[in-house]
Amino acid sequence: MSERTILLVEDNPNDEALTLRALKKSNILNPVVVARDGAEALDYLFSRGAHQGRKAGNPELVLLDLKLPKVDGLEVLRQLRTDERTKLLPVVVLTSSVEEQDVMRGYALGANSYVRKPVDFNQFVDAVKQLGLYWLVLNQRPPNP
Amino acid sequence: MTDGGGASRTEASRRQVGMHLLGEAVHEFAEATHDYPRLLEVVARRVSETIGDVCSVMLLSDDKERLEAATFYDRDPEVARQYAFAAARSISMHEPSVARESLRSGQPVCVPKFDIQQFRERTTPESYELHRRLGVHGILVVPLRVRQEPVGTISIVRYRPGHAPLDEIDVEIATSLASHAALAITNSRLLQRAQGEADRRVKAEAALVESERLRRAEQDVVRANRFLDAIIENIPDMVFVKEASGLTFTRFNRAGEELLGLKREGLIGKSDYDFFPRSEAEFFIKKDRETLAGKMLVDIPEEPIQTARGKRWLHTKKVPILDGEGTPIYLLGISQDITERRAAQRELLEAKEAVEAANLELEAFSYSVAHDLRSPLRAIDGFSQALLEDYGPKLEGDGRDYLQRVRASAQHMAELIDDLLTLSRVTRAEMRRERVDVSDLARTIMARLQTVAPERRVEVVIPDGLAGSGDPGLLGVVLENLLGNAWKFTSKRKEARIEVGATHQDGAKAFFVRDDGAGFDMAYASRLFGVFQRLHHVNEFEGTGIGLATVQRIVKRHGGRVWATGEIDRGATFYFTLAEEVTAHE
Repeated sequence: MSERTILLVEDNPNDEALTLRALKKSNILNPVVVARDGAEALDYLFSRGAHQGRKAGNPELVLLDLKLPKVDGLEVLRQLRTDERTKLLPVVVLTSSVEEQDVMRGYALGANSYVRKPVDFNQFVDAVKQLGLYWLVLNQRPPNP
Repeated sequence: MTDGGGASRTEASRRQVGMHLLGEAVHEFAEATHDYPRLLEVVARRVSETIGDVCSVMLLSDDKERLEAATFYDRDPEVARQYAFAAARSISMHEPSVARESLRSGQPVCVPKFDIQQFRERTTPESYELHRRLGVHGILVVPLRVRQEPVGTISIVRYRPGHAPLDEIDVEIATSLASHAALAITNSRLLQRAQGEADRRVKAEAALVESERLRRAEQDVVRANRFLDAIIENIPDMVFVKEASGLTFTRFNRAGEELLGLKREGLIGKSDYDFFPRSEAEFFIKKDRETLAGKMLVDIPEEPIQTARGKRWLHTKKVPILDGEGTPIYLLGISQDITERRAAQRELLEAKEAVEAANLELEAFSYSVAHDLRSPLRAIDGFSQALLEDYGPKLEGDGRDYLQRVRASAQHMAELIDDLLTLSRVTRAEMRRERVDVSDLARTIMARLQTVAPERRVEVVIPDGLAGSGDPGLLGVVLENLLGNAWKFTSKRKEARIEVGATHQDGAKAFFVRDDGAGFDMAYASRLFGVFQRLHHVNEFEGTGIGLATVQRIVKRHGGRVWATGEIDRGATFYFTLAEEVTAHE
């Protein structure tokens, strides 16, 4: 399990802390890498910039917020889906927005799931638990390219 | 009967025959009186037949200067023709002649033994030659007089061999014939003159009638013109007419004068170039030519025009007026001043653009609200929960309860934000209209509610086939709110009943959602649909007070209305209608 990294793309430190706590409470023990804006997420995924020289390989799952500094979540998603290396990488959009157009564009750009972060922390934990169960345990992921 | 002068006859019998012929002749004269040329012929023939041989009737001219040949007769038409050709056509009254002598004296002149040689000096060569050739042997001239007034003469010429010389009986009979003939001729002339007078009078009368008719027709035209003028004059749009070749104004109405601030006296006969800036005039003329060339109406929805009152905008129609052959002779123009309307339209457009801009802003704002306000709420709730979990045992007294309240408040605020966003979204959302299966929609929503609290015993009555016309998404929001309320307000009942149905209200189909829950006091019914209006305490039933306001907004956008009936502890029924057509946006 130690190799099966989760990439959390989140700029808000509160949300970051809560998500990490929710993961922990859901017994998801995979290593979590946090990218605090879209550009950093892309650098990590494509092993460039600050992440140059990172050992090749995709994370197991990307939890992607939409409203991000520098490069926003939808743009990150678009670039992931146009690159051969990350085309099939599971991406769950985890965001505050339920604006119809965001949901639609998220799916149109190839998001695998779209989850709105509930305010009720217990519900959030439930959601994360289910996500982890599905994407990290049940889902048969495509082979790493 | 022409051998009236036979030697064997006695004077008496000759007179008797003469009288008889005279009687016939007079009768025939009378008959011919109404036909002057015929009368003259009849006279000549009768005299010729009675006395013989050639008879010529000479009539005194109106100025009494000459005797003029009127007619010749001989029973041999060839001789009569030769006479008409060769005999003197006209004899001057200033020169001596047998005829003048007879007419002046009023006596017949008889030459029983005519000497052609004596006659030679007194006549034309042609006449002399004719008389010589015929072998004329007697001449008689009798005057035609009526009451001493000379009318003309009758000349009788005997040439046939064997015809007895003229004698007194011939003269007597000729004189009688002449006096009757003169009378008949005079009468006929009078008649003719009277006839002419009558004809003239009839003609004059006819002319009078005709001129009266023309005058009336002219009056009618004037009246019709005045009528048309009045219409054109009072049309509130500018009406003008230009003649087709030079495109100068020939007609102009009052609205046109007012529009341009010019009097028509100054406009008539002038062209657009005399009044408007060159580019404008060129545009007008171009459109005029287009209209005349195409022989068809040309519509100019918007054209600017410089007037004494400043720049105005016109909606102009130009029509060619064609003559009988289809050639354009005039151009008719009708212009409506649309300056104010155009300005209003502009304002409306600007207002619409402003609203659209405001909507965009609102959308951006909503997005922010959705994202940014929820984020801190999540932190408040999440860290409160973390505190409870990690440090709960260390908290004393009401500490845990307070933290629970913090969490509940955060969650309630999140609900408020969500409901407000829904309310603003239903106002902004594009609305489409289609057939919506209300039964199906209601069942789906009820099923979802039941999964949240499967332990509740609720009888749900939803008949098949409820259908409405509206936006499926928005109608879903309506039913979610109404069924959610019914579900919520029956939550304190051990057993509850929720019914969805349709009824008729004022001729329109009204859907309803009925429950047997907490109900409400009808005294507060008017406050049900206001934003943040609640009829129950939060500790009784939770809620934001936005749901029914959202329902009302959606129903109004559909052109329908919403209302409710209820009684405390006896349940409530919420009704709504959906007009077929969208009447207006809110």
